[in-house]
Parts: sequence; structure tokens; C-alpha cells
Amino acid sequence: MAITEKELKTLAKLSRLEFSEEELAGFKSGFEEMIEFCDGINSEIGGDTSSIREVGSMQTEWKDLREDVVEESLPNEKILSNVHGERGYFAVKRVVK
Amino acid sequence: MSGRIKTLSDMLKKGEISSAELTRRYISRIEKINPLLNAYVLKTFDEAIRGAEYADALIKQGKAGALTGIPFALKDNICTDGIETTCCSHMLEGFKPYYDATVWQKLKSVGAVLLGKTNMDEFAMGSSSETSYYGAPKNPVNLSKVTGGSSGGSAAAVKADIAAYSLGSDTGGSVRQPASFCGAVGFKPTYGAVSRYGLIAYASSLDQIGPLADSVEDAAIIYDAIRGQDRRDSTSCPTADGVTKLDGDVKGLKIGVPEEFFSEGVDEEVKKSIEAAICLYERAGAKIKKVKFPAMKVALSVYYILCCAEASSNLGRYDGIRYGFRAKDYGDIDEMIVKTRTLGFGKEVKRRIMLGTYVLSSGYYDAYYKKACLLRERITAEFDEIFKDCDVLLTPVAPTTAFDIGGRSASSVQAYLADVCTVPVNIARLPAISLPCAVTKEGLPVGLQIIGRRFDDGRVLSSAYFFEREACVKVPLCKEVQL
Repeated sequence: MAITEKELKTLAKLSRLEFSEEELAGFKSGFEEMIEFCDGINSEIGGDTSSIREVGSMQTEWKDLREDVVEESLPNEKILSNVHGERGYFAVKRVVK
Repeated sequence: MSGRIKTLSDMLKKGEISSAELTRRYISRIEKINPLLNAYVLKTFDEAIRGAEYADALIKQGKAGALTGIPFALKDNICTDGIETTCCSHMLEGFKPYYDATVWQKLKSVGAVLLGKTNMDEFAMGSSSETSYYGAPKNPVNLSKVTGGSSGGSAAAVKADIAAYSLGSDTGGSVRQPASFCGAVGFKPTYGAVSRYGLIAYASSLDQIGPLADSVEDAAIIYDAIRGQDRRDSTSCPTADGVTKLDGDVKGLKIGVPEEFFSEGVDEEVKKSIEAAICLYERAGAKIKKVKFPAMKVALSVYYILCCAEASSNLGRYDGIRYGFRAKDYGDIDEMIVKTRTLGFGKEVKRRIMLGTYVLSSGYYDAYYKKACLLRERITAEFDEIFKDCDVLLTPVAPTTAFDIGGRSASSVQAYLADVCTVPVNIARLPAISLPCAVTKEGLPVGLQIIGRRFDDGRVLSSAYFFEREACVKVPLCKEVQL
């Protein structure tokens, strides 16, 4: 299945990724090959999909859920030791101007 | 004859060697051999020495268990409190988790000794470990070949005995296929049998932690130590009580052979090796039956749709704010996130995120993701039907033996085909093991896969134990690694 450059750019935007024009051109054929491969499933099932259950629904036996128990949180300093933190918060550039 | 873990454990308990001494021997082997293999991406020798001291104290108090004092390795996507865990990605370079994965916590509490973190495909996305940010590990059987993946470093470390055993993760074959390529044993337990808490998520409905070991006996010992329900992983389930029994009795065992696993693309030598293994079971009194698994033709497509969809969602959390890498030059916060992700992720990871976003996007969600979910149920139902009349299935692990490093593009449908025999197991959440069943003319190991019913992990291990005991397959290391 052919995919347009515009569609690829929209996907990149949704994925929060950036590609140069050159990268995008190189990416296109492999991506199309992969989609074509995934299209194999359409030979098995066509048409209406409204009755299909989501995968999550068959994974969990909800009767087994445990009670919620309040526990102590992880210490802020430990979490922030990894990243850009300031005064107990995650730090980013100013968002509200 | 006892396996590697039991032999070492007996020596430790008898006082023939201390854990500290054993650990020093392993450290010295790692220093000599790892530069050839690139199996470890992080060495944790201070932690190992601390662990060995704790283990020696346990042994002295008569409290030693099967894994006390034995040095091992963890795949680099299993969280270790205060110890760098990167998923072999630039994105998580320098990331030190603030909690332990349940499996590591369990092993630490019985005095297991952590030697380091092992190489893998970036975020476990690949079948050769070549997408690692730290470069590909090499196969200790033949240094020009890939280790398989994604748990390639774990398999190589165990085979070269620079770790007595290791843990990997298996989303579509990532424990079994590298075990097969390196001539080790790799076991993927039933989905839910082992807690995934602290395993950095790739595709949560398929991911499963499992052992890589030198023998089936070792794999069973490790499995017993890490399994069981965990309140921190709601998908984990209680498992059978007691120690997994390995009687290796296959008389009357009903074995199914799904012919679709032997079709197009499977090497003749691989096919013949598996057929010879099946004959061995038959001679010992097992009942062999050919079975049909028609859903095989869509399994790989279903797998890639589901895993990429889940990956695109799971990897959404890497925004440069809470973990690891953050890009430097940016205008506002949105630009920072985009730049961080663009520079932090490798090519294959980006490709899978894009594919996952595509199959989940409005307009394509029904055509791909929803249909894949339905087919997942069909695949599961077909296996369930087969298992009404079969106890286990025997198949190849991979269509080929280990291929040349750089020989296949990691990002191609051809590379994805390496997973064709392993992914159906993850889709249906079944247990399966890979163990060496032959060595080709080129000197490369061939893996036999044994698949079982959900939560019938003990039978899978016991059936594998039979083959290992009867066939005594030896896979020699290359001479550079023989020390």
C-alpha cells in the first residue's frame, strides 16, 4: 500500500518525531513494505469489526483484583536525582508566559 | 550428572569455594572474554562483591538456597535500584531506576550475585541485538555471527560462562531465539507466571521475563526462584506449589507437530534436526501426531501490529522530562520533546513507533489493530483446540541458524521473519522452551522449541529435560573464548 509523504509527516507529528526530507524518503519504502506485510491480516478478516473485543478484555480476570492499599510514595529526591529537577519538581522551560 | 548451578551450589555449600572467590573468578573471566563478545554493557562488580559477602553469610548460617552465591546477569531492561538501566538506548543513558524489579528483588533476597547488565536490541526491538546503542554482541560459538535477540547479551554471557545464568525478556522470541543461536537453553514462562514489575515495557500484553541457562535443570531452578503472583503486577498469577519436577518421562506423552512451522523458509538442516529430535521422543514411547495450525500464516502480521501499537503507546513516556536523555537546544517544551525523542531513539525504534501510531490512528484502527485483536483470539483458540489432544508441541525455534553480523538489515520484513516460529507462543500467552538439538556442518547450534499449555510450564521443562539427557548435544565454543 502506498503511503504519501504528507501522511508520513502527520504520523511523525503524532509520534512526536522529526525526520529530514532525506530521512523521510529513505524511510518510505521500508514503511510501505511493512504495511503491505501487515495487510496480510485483511485477507483473513474483511468488513465489519464492531463485534471485536479489545485485547485488554480477555487478559484480566477482574475477580482477582486486590484491595487498594495506601503505601508510602517513592521519595522525591530519589526520583529527581535522575533528571532535571528543581526544588522538588521536574524542571522544564517556562510554559506560561 | 548435575547442571552448572547445582554443581556450583554444592561446592559453595560444602565450603570448597566461597561465593566471594567464585565471584572473583567470574569477574576475571569477564575481563578477559567480554571485550571479545560485548555481552555486558555494564559491569556491577561492587554490587557483585557485596552480594557475595551476603551470600557467604547465608551459607555459613545454613540458609543457602539453590541460587545463593551464584553469579548471574540481568538484561539491561530489568530495573535495578541505583544501577544504570538503559534498554541499550541513548534515550535512557545514565538512567538509574529508583526501585528493583520483582525478579531482581527475589534473587537478591536469596543471595544471588549480580555481575552486570547485558546487551540487547534497543528497547528489545530486534532479533539480532544489532540495534543496540552499544553495538552488537558477538556469538561465542562463532564470533562472526549474531547472537540473536533481543536478549543476545544474556545468551552470549551464559554460553561463554561469563555468567552462570541470566534473565532476559521475551516479547516475540527474545529469550528463545538467542538461546537457539548461541547454543544455550532459553525458557519463556506462561504469560503471568513471572512478575513483569520493573521490566521496562515494550509490548505489555506480550512481554515476559524468562531465564537463559546452561541446562534445562538450571532453567527450572531459576524459574522456581522467580515465579509467582506479585501484587505489583496485576497480570501476574499464582503458579503451582513446590519445586518443578523434572522426571523426563515421556512415555505416553502426546506430542503435536504443527506442519506450518516446517514450511517455506525453514532451512533443510534445521528441519532435519528437529525431525531427528521428534524420532527420539517417539522411540522413548511418546505418541507423535501431526496437527494443523492454519492461523500461522497471519501470526507474524498480528504480532507486529500488536507489538508496534503497544510500543508506540508505551514509549510515549519518553519525553525528556522524567527519564534519562534530554536534547539541548530547543525553543519551547514541545520542541524539546520532539528533539529529545528524535535524537534519543534509534532507527528501528522510530520505525516501530511510527508503525504503531499508524495502526492506532483514526481511519486505520479498525482495519489493523481491531482485526489483529480478533485474530489474536483466533490464534489462541486454535492452540487451545490442538492442546485438547496434545500435551506439548515440537517445532523449530527459528527458520535458520545464526546469521552473519551485518548480514541482514535489522529493519526489514526479512529480518522480522526470524521470529515466525516464536511469536505465536507470545500471542497465545503459552510457555515454551528452546534447547540445543543439533550442531550444523558449519558448527552452529540448532534450537528445538517445546510449547505447552498455559500454566503447564512444568511439563514443558520436564519434556525438554528428557531430550537434553538422552541426546547429550554439545555445542563447542569458538577457540578465542575457550579459556
